[in-house]
Amino acid sequence: MARVLIAFLIAIIGAALVGTVIQTQFNLSELTALSVVIDMPTRMNTILHDLLHFGPLFALILTPTLFIAFIVAALIAKKLPSLERWLFIVGGGVALAIAFLIVDSLAPMPTLIAANRSPLGFALMSITGAFAGWIFDRLWHPQPRELAEELMQ
Amino acid sequence: MKRALKFLLCIALYGVCAVAYSAEIRVIAEKLNFPWSVAELPEGGYLVTERGGKLVHVAENGTKQAVTLSIPDLYAEAQAGLFEVLLSPDFSRSRELVISYSCGTKHANNTCVIRGKLSLQQPYSVIETQNIFTALPKKDGAAHYGARMTWLGDGTLLVALGDGFVYREQAQLLDSHLGKIVRITRSGATPEDNPYTHTKAPQIFSYGHRNVQGLIYDKDRDAIWQHEHGPRGGDELNRIEKGANYGWPIATYGIDYTGAKVSPFVDLPGMKAPLYQWTPSLAPAGLALYEGDLLVAHLAGKRLQRFQMTAGKWELEGDYLQGLNQRLRAVYVGPSGRILVLTDSKEGQLLEVIFE
Repeated sequence: MARVLIAFLIAIIGAALVGTVIQTQFNLSELTALSVVIDMPTRMNTILHDLLHFGPLFALILTPTLFIAFIVAALIAKKLPSLERWLFIVGGGVALAIAFLIVDSLAPMPTLIAANRSPLGFALMSITGAFAGWIFDRLWHPQPRELAEELMQ
Repeated sequence: MKRALKFLLCIALYGVCAVAYSAEIRVIAEKLNFPWSVAELPEGGYLVTERGGKLVHVAENGTKQAVTLSIPDLYAEAQAGLFEVLLSPDFSRSRELVISYSCGTKHANNTCVIRGKLSLQQPYSVIETQNIFTALPKKDGAAHYGARMTWLGDGTLLVALGDGFVYREQAQLLDSHLGKIVRITRSGATPEDNPYTHTKAPQIFSYGHRNVQGLIYDKDRDAIWQHEHGPRGGDELNRIEKGANYGWPIATYGIDYTGAKVSPFVDLPGMKAPLYQWTPSLAPAGLALYEGDLLVAHLAGKRLQRFQMTAGKWELEGDYLQGLNQRLRAVYVGPSGRILVLTDSKEGQLLEVIFE
């Protein structure tokens, strides 16, 4: 049980970190498209700000979404054990995309997360759910070759 | 007189002090369904818009009567609907007024303005309506329309607009009306001395706005005062100048509702910084001039604020009406000098506020 919880926690944190950095890049790219010059220190400070302020909200969206998605993936994986890894990856991604759509339908604004305004942004942000699925299953049920990997070369 | 006595007492006790006002309230009318704006009629009584689409005449005794108004392309949902009614400067003679509203459909809408005439006799109706402005491009969703209006000294009309929320970058593009304040003539033509007549949106007067909810021309100072909503924080009070860029979404004190930065910059060269900014947001929704002071009605802040000009800067004098615990949608000072305030709810009220 502890293994599952730790795997889930790491999956959430991993996806929240990656998703946050992705959305920051989309927001900043909209500004650079308006001819705004953004130097590297400013970019890094913005990422740091968003990790602290956007990251928790994103983790809040990820947690119930992936909780449901991973339960469903685990149940299906019992029937199709050979596809387990892919079930978590696809399940995480699809579930997060659906969660975004649900949040947007409930929120007063058309799109809550600005990066989701473009199809590419929506796809990349959704893929962070797939990333979480991969992390989770990689830690929960590592494959023999993954167990054989050395931690440090 | 009371104020003068208070001032003298204050000086006697403390040497020097600012005079705090007290605000009394009189309820003029109740059960207005999300009222958005009010205008005082010279013959007595008031016109009140309800966001859902109704124009209501309120008599001095609070009696309400629907005003006949036909707006076939009205789109009313969430923030969208019927917005401001503004009498023309020569209303007593011409009976002309302008009305702003959201026009179109759920997936293709924006802010429109019509001109019409109010009938002389009651029950009132608005007749001879004609469109004088349609903001473009049409957008998706029911958010951020701006829609406050004011007449300038030269008889032209300023119309405030919003960025449509998800189109925030368009506030910086001079080919779009989103996130702008536009200036048109009473018939809807573009004045020749507008600053961007060479663009596809020649009506633009200023740009870089998010959601302008307060706009007033100050004849005595020959100045245009404006406030707009920031996202989380960064609500702004500005002095509007022809052709100027007010920064959104490149320079802002606010962050997105998600906590993410909209921009790393609060101020940049070439962009006007706010004269005053509210962080956290109070959601300023209405602006009026009263005895040379600015009155600001707040939605989330549930208060009326009074600002006084001190050494060329607007300084907050005080917060009022917090005891009401009501979202305030609008504040209006008409020709009679009376202060009118609208509360924002399904059972909204029209209030008169008396400062003492």
